[in-house]
Amino acid sequence: MELTPIRKRAALQPGKIRLNSPPSAAAEETPCTQKTIIGARDFTFYYGSKAGVENITMDIEVGSVTAIIGPSGCGKSTFLRSINRMNDLIPQTRTEGLLSVGGQDVYDKSTNLVNLRQQVGMVFQRPNPFAKSIYDNITYGPKLQGIRSKAKLNALVEKCLKDAALWDEVKDDLHKSALALSGGQQQRLCIARTLATKPRVVLMDEPCSALDPLATARIEDLIEELKGTYTIVIVTHNMQQAARVSKRTAFFCLGKLIEYGQTDKLFTNPQEKSTEDYITGRFG
Amino acid sequence: MTESLLQRDKNDAAVEFSRPLRLSVTEDLRGFLAEKIGHATLFSITFLSVLAVMAIFYFVIQESVPFIFKGSFGESIGRLTEFLTRTGWYPQSHDNPEYGALSIIVGSLYVTLGALVVAVPVGVLAAVFLSDIAPFSLRQICKPIIEILAAIPSVAYGVFAVMIVAPWMQNTLGFTTGTNALNASLILSIMALPTIISVAEDALSAVGREVREASYGLGATRAETMLKVVIPASHSGIVAAIILGMMRAIGETMVVWMASGNASRIPSPWWDLSQSVRTLTATIAGELGEVPKNTDHFHVLFMIALLLLLFTFGLNMVSEFFMARFKKKSRGL
Amino acid sequence: MQTQLRQALNHLFTLSCGASVVLLVAALLLFLIPMLKKGAVAVLFRGTVEFRKMQAEQFDRGNEEALQKEIEQTAQSRQEIYAILDQFSRGIDTEKLTDEVKGLYRDYGDELRYKDTPKEQYTKLRSQAKIIRNHLLDAFESIDKTEINEYLDAVKVFEKGNSFSGTTVEKMFAVADGFQKTIQHVDLSRRGEYAEELSVVKEELYNLFGPRPEEKTPQLAMRRFGATRWDVAQKHLSFLLWQEKWVRSDDGQSMVSRKVRRDDPQYGSFSGTSLLPLFTLVEETLDISLKPRFTFYWQYFIDDSTPGHYFGGVGPEVLGTLMLTMLAMCFAVGPGVLSAAYLVEYAGDNLIVKIIRICINTLAGVPSIVYGLFGMAFFVTYVTRHPGILSAAMTLALLVLPVIIRASEEAIRAVPQTYREAAMGLGAGKFRSFITVTLPAAGPGILTGIILSLGRAAGETAPILFAGAAALAPIPDFGGKWWLQETRALSYGCYDITVGDKLAMMVPHKQFGMVMTLVMLVLCLNIVAIFVRSRMSKKLRGA
Ligand SMILES: Nc1ncnc2c1ncn2[C@@H]1O[C@H](COP(=O)(O)OP(=O)(O)O)[C@@H](O)[C@H]1O
Ligand SMILES: [Mg+2]
Repeated sequence: MELTPIRKRAALQPGKIRLNSPPSAAAEETPCTQKTIIGARDFTFYYGSKAGVENITMDIEVGSVTAIIGPSGCGKSTFLRSINRMNDLIPQTRTEGLLSVGGQDVYDKSTNLVNLRQQVGMVFQRPNPFAKSIYDNITYGPKLQGIRSKAKLNALVEKCLKDAALWDEVKDDLHKSALALSGGQQQRLCIARTLATKPRVVLMDEPCSALDPLATARIEDLIEELKGTYTIVIVTHNMQQAARVSKRTAFFCLGKLIEYGQTDKLFTNPQEKSTEDYITGRFG
Repeated sequence: MTESLLQRDKNDAAVEFSRPLRLSVTEDLRGFLAEKIGHATLFSITFLSVLAVMAIFYFVIQESVPFIFKGSFGESIGRLTEFLTRTGWYPQSHDNPEYGALSIIVGSLYVTLGALVVAVPVGVLAAVFLSDIAPFSLRQICKPIIEILAAIPSVAYGVFAVMIVAPWMQNTLGFTTGTNALNASLILSIMALPTIISVAEDALSAVGREVREASYGLGATRAETMLKVVIPASHSGIVAAIILGMMRAIGETMVVWMASGNASRIPSPWWDLSQSVRTLTATIAGELGEVPKNTDHFHVLFMIALLLLLFTFGLNMVSEFFMARFKKKSRGL
Repeated sequence: MQTQLRQALNHLFTLSCGASVVLLVAALLLFLIPMLKKGAVAVLFRGTVEFRKMQAEQFDRGNEEALQKEIEQTAQSRQEIYAILDQFSRGIDTEKLTDEVKGLYRDYGDELRYKDTPKEQYTKLRSQAKIIRNHLLDAFESIDKTEINEYLDAVKVFEKGNSFSGTTVEKMFAVADGFQKTIQHVDLSRRGEYAEELSVVKEELYNLFGPRPEEKTPQLAMRRFGATRWDVAQKHLSFLLWQEKWVRSDDGQSMVSRKVRRDDPQYGSFSGTSLLPLFTLVEETLDISLKPRFTFYWQYFIDDSTPGHYFGGVGPEVLGTLMLTMLAMCFAVGPGVLSAAYLVEYAGDNLIVKIIRICINTLAGVPSIVYGLFGMAFFVTYVTRHPGILSAAMTLALLVLPVIIRASEEAIRAVPQTYREAAMGLGAGKFRSFITVTLPAAGPGILTGIILSLGRAAGETAPILFAGAAALAPIPDFGGKWWLQETRALSYGCYDITVGDKLAMMVPHKQFGMVMTLVMLVLCLNIVAIFVRSRMSKKLRGA
């Protein structure tokens, strides 16, 4: 089947749809460092007796943006949430295989969960700010780390909000309820809140699915700016988005990792039939 | 393989993670202890409720046992049968005390059932009104009213019964006494209503919209939909509501003590609610203050309490059963 | 045809559903309106000068000078009334007159001895006085006017003799004079009836105006003041004016009972007597002699009361209720919220948790009187060893524990899971994320539950019957072991004042006042709870 126009544009001209986005070509062309930060070997996650993901084996590179795509219910969130053990909240779950972050088996008893979660931050599908002020939302993590100095906190808030491209919009009402912000602003606040704990890895689970196109564009810009500094793993339903922001892409289907490779290759020349079916829109 | 992978990642990410992902031994120990201690503390606090229930049962049984188990086995049985089947209640009599609680048990049933006769139809219909008929704004007004009805202290209802309802019954209705079974039943029904309404309304709302739509779609009127489809579908919830209301009525003390007249006899003819009756709760409330400890009279009052406790415990179990069934059903199992 | 029937049935159904709700609302109004209206009278009423006197004497309140002035102003009109009364009672209350004359005779004897009268003169005067006395006593006994006049004339002879001028005997003459005047208008054959009626009149005047200025202060607080309230005064006035009487019916055939005025010229008991002007006088000058004034007696909620709640307020009851409920909350809130936290955040779905849940539900269903028994058998017997505030509060705490657990559990469960995820994602542990995120978010819900259970604890009576509530307990002495003392409480007070206390039956406004206080307290708590809840839902919406 011929490539759909959308797919062509998405795959071949990443970043073109956006206006005034910084040129990303340079970053794309730097040679792959091949340093891994997250590694999975035959990783399986069970909800009760049912597997959420099965036998995942993949490596994620330091400082890159990795996209995970796939139809609904294929285990993208499950895998992502396993990386910083967010699935602990769900009762009666267990794992098999190995999932390592920075050389630490995350499902081992010896994992320091606090340090893991602070350094592997997470942005959720729906913006979920606390019912507190903007300021308190951002200082929540740093305060947990024991930062008490007002000056430091203020500086941190400003820096994070600027990093998340939200500063100009909210700098005058930092002490207003975060719930009063719009959806896109709330999501950027959540990103800022995550950045405030100084993470190395940021996991994003469909961060734009609840947002309108304009807000989506801003988040994508943000991801663009953050890459390099942070390792980003992003789950998305939107293939254009995956093509635009990521360096590598993993395709999940029915709880299995079907294909994983350079984004442009995966989109232009998928190795697996189901991958092609999915990206050409035949299912999912 | 595992080792090598971990080693590789570790080397690669060495610069990335400034704070160690691995717990130090002391951190591990501290975390483990904190978790265990926290869990244990919370558990024991929660377990207080269990202890309280056991303590209540223990003390009530402990104080009521001496009334029955005295003398030989045959005598014990005799005392128990006297307690349950005789109507003579003369615990204060010096030479020949009698402890027949039947009329008191019957009195409790009288006022409780009397209350339910009014409260069940009114409660269920009101629940239907709130869940299916009233517009949203009206419901917003009715909810607080029901809450307030539930919050008014029982003693205030008691005063109302004695000072306002009783004179009215005596003067306007011409009853021989204003404090009687009917008076107590009426007030109890008002007190049981909020419970019945709120639980029944939950039960009705839990029946999905599709069920209603299906029925309307077949041309049924609202009355038919409610009576033939929705109420049957939520019947376990409604039964639970009725039982909870019944528990409220049977355990109520102040109102019946003040409004029922406290005459320990079974009304005759049996349907004559304008006569005074005496209930289990009122008997305890009225007599315990005056009896010396460790007398038969003292113990028999605890026996009554045990009876009440068993009554409500049984009802609670039944309502729990229906609630569970209702929940299961509404989850579609 | 069939559809019409179905439609009609449908309307009937809708109607009966609506009627049930109307019934519900009617029940609430039927309860609230009379209770609050009758109760409000305890606080808002027209207070008389007697009320202000009572406030000054019992509670040291009000302007001393202004009160004295008022009392003087009222004294005048009261004096006129008393004068008429005294004048009339002289003719009727022969027992009193007899006592008076006997006393005067005795005094005269003392006087003679004191003046060192020579022996024979003493004997003479003394026997003369005795004759006067006996004449008077005979006159008092008799019911025949001419006979009385004869006796009194005989007395007058001595008066002319002049040998008694300037002595106590002159007072006897005065009595004779007064008596003679009074009996002109009195039907002596009805003297017994007059005496009876007169005692009623006197009692009602006492109820209106309190003790007379020259009387010494009575022991009982309730006898120290007259009608403190205008409505009570009106009531006593009507008791004073009206009497139930058997009169011949209009057709003259039979006797019927009818209300007539005591000064009714035809039927009234006092028709044609010198007491007659008293009634209209009292009626017309009542507002001068009582000076009613609109009073907002807010101190009702803090004042102590005299026995039987005859005067004063519900201060000790309010204080007791506050102490009991606050203390009960101190015991119940911590365990309640923590239990809820455990059930939501930690507990799995195993057997023991199921048992815990069943026990909480059982606890919620235990009849309140059984809590009372348990409180007596356990807290009083083993923990505090004395019925008192502490044991009562513990019993109440146990009673509200399941309520708090359920409300808190619901509130904590309602906190969206994403909050917990966000907190955990930022590196907060379970405990931290509960304290810093879940609890604040559930706070208003928990608070609502606590406020509602506060109302519940304040209203419960049966649990504290045997564990520390008493009708006449003194105000706790906060210097000592106050927690071991029994206390008054609004809830128990409501019971006692309506059913237990005979004295209180005379002051229905106080009975309703107490109930109103309790109902208002609970209503206010509920309204606050509703308010908190609406604020909470607004906050969650980000407004
Ligand atoms: N809390 C849960 N309990 C049980 N099963 C779950 C739970 N969450 C997800 N699953 C199951 O795991 C599978 C993967 O879900 P998920 O990772 O959320 O998919 P995705 O994010 O790709 O849409 C789904 O089949 C889903 O039914
Ligand atoms: Mg998902």
